Amino acid sequence: MMMTHKQRILAASRKQPVDKLPFGARIDLWYNYNKVHGTLPEKYRGLDMVDILRDLGAGIRQRHEYIWKETFRNVEIVDSDAPPYRTTEYRTPKGNVTRKVVFTQEEGTVAAYETEHMFKSAEDYAPIEYLIENTVLTIDQDKYLKAVQRVGEDGLVHVRASQSPMQEVMRKFMGFERFFFELADHRSQVEHLYEVTKELVWKKLKILAESPTEHVQVDGNWSDDIHTPVFRKYFVPYFREAVDYVHSKGKVTMVHMDGEVRRLIPMFLETGIDMAEAFCPAPMTSVTTADLRKAWGDRVVVWGGMPAILFEPQYSDEEFDAYVRKLFKEIAPGNAFIVGMGDNVPFDGNIERVGRIVELIDECGQLPIKA
Amino acid sequence: MSATDNGFSYAPLIDSVLNQDDARLLELVKDALGKGVSPEDIVTSGLQPAMGIVGEKYSTGEFFVPDMLLASRAVSRALAVLKPRLSSAGVPSRGRVVIGTVFGDIHDVGKNLVTTMLEGTGFQVVDLGINIPVSGFVKAVEEHKPDILGMSALVTTTMVVMAEVIKALKEADLRSRVKVIVGGAPVTKHYADYIGADGYGANGGDAAKLCRELVGK
Repeated sequence: MMMTHKQRILAASRKQPVDKLPFGARIDLWYNYNKVHGTLPEKYRGLDMVDILRDLGAGIRQRHEYIWKETFRNVEIVDSDAPPYRTTEYRTPKGNVTRKVVFTQEEGTVAAYETEHMFKSAEDYAPIEYLIENTVLTIDQDKYLKAVQRVGEDGLVHVRASQSPMQEVMRKFMGFERFFFELADHRSQVEHLYEVTKELVWKKLKILAESPTEHVQVDGNWSDDIHTPVFRKYFVPYFREAVDYVHSKGKVTMVHMDGEVRRLIPMFLETGIDMAEAFCPAPMTSVTTADLRKAWGDRVVVWGGMPAILFEPQYSDEEFDAYVRKLFKEIAPGNAFIVGMGDNVPFDGNIERVGRIVELIDECGQLPIKA
Repeated sequence: MSATDNGFSYAPLIDSVLNQDDARLLELVKDALGKGVSPEDIVTSGLQPAMGIVGEKYSTGEFFVPDMLLASRAVSRALAVLKPRLSSAGVPSRGRVVIGTVFGDIHDVGKNLVTTMLEGTGFQVVDLGINIPVSGFVKAVEEHKPDILGMSALVTTTMVVMAEVIKALKEADLRSRVKVIVGGAPVTKHYADYIGADGYGANGGDAAKLCRELVGK
């Protein structure tokens, strides 16, 4: 009997045999933008992403929000709105910190981007650490379970996860540039914040590992700017522990890796992480899928291989077909690979090309693929 | 790197930038000034070549992004000491670059790195910031008359604005007066050619090299 999309994706993610290349497509950026702007193709108006991907015959990779809610003990939170900005002040017994976000609907759904991080000076270490230590997590997974039921055998729903501890310090609390200056100037304080953050990240990881999700994301948004020496010192040890723990629960670990990762490729194998999701190859980055397979073989499962821009009008249908055919040759015989987007279909992408991938898999994606 | 007539060698100064050693760099700058080396020479023969090497080392994979950030910070601190002593003519500029992140996009790490590398290697940079509308770029080209306009975008939703800016520059009869370069995560050489840009840089080091080539200096 033919495998379902879900069975095929799960089998490949565990390096088990599959009948043909699994395909887990992510189209939320395309869908949300065009839905909000009223520009969905006529035949898809009134349908949701699941229906559209079913119509195209593609497997579904749906992203779901956190399955916990965060509240804080002994912290007063004061929001002040000046659209499109919102400033949030966290008043703690150890001092106050503020963060500012801008809301934008450029990508369809309303997204909040941080324009001012919580950490601005050394005075902010204490209140931020208080905030972290007094975070209360309440599990809330009803919506996730409904999403899983809706997708059914047609794909997988991935739950949003915390970033790894040092990534939280870098991206969430400090911002990229300030993080590296702080690490150079006040290393011990940064390391202390890292330890405090790690405790909370572990609590979140345990919730995910205990949940029904099959794939547990242990970090996201990787790119070379994480800086390899910092990665080896502060990221790898955490991943080793996290991977062992998630494996003990019988689950697969993954990282959302959609950036330029040439420098991180050799380090990946040190982490023990099972799957690199959203891998975005050349021409959007300098790494080809062939490079990645050469470096990793099938030791790491790759989910991706289709750069977002290939769906855009700047590439012809012929160029698109040629790219996909070449991709299949590069990954031959095709083990431990799930075709997917790096990391989405762009707002002006041709959605029919998602269906074209399905046709090409049926035509030349039966395993084992000949090189 | 050769020594000056005053017996000051630039090599240790350049090494201190490469080592991101602010304290040593400031010490050497003061030593150079004490030996009568002009502030202009310290910048053009010491700090700018050092940042050029930083960019090359990043492009070849020897340096990482934080190395660029910390080297640049050291140079900024040295420039703060030198600026009050520079002659009114200042340091000759390689050219003027107007730079910004396009409308709808508030990401600035890539743009800031390019700015850092351009300033460090002798360009005068007008940083427009983030979320810059098409009209903002056109107005800045009219006002600042740059040699180069640089645009950055992190997401596919916003990179299309780059094409709109190029179109608007043509309509305002400004396109032939300025070279346009583009960069950012989803941007490729293919896309740069597709929208009619003059160049594409994959990172800060590449962008600085590209600008030097475009202005012929």
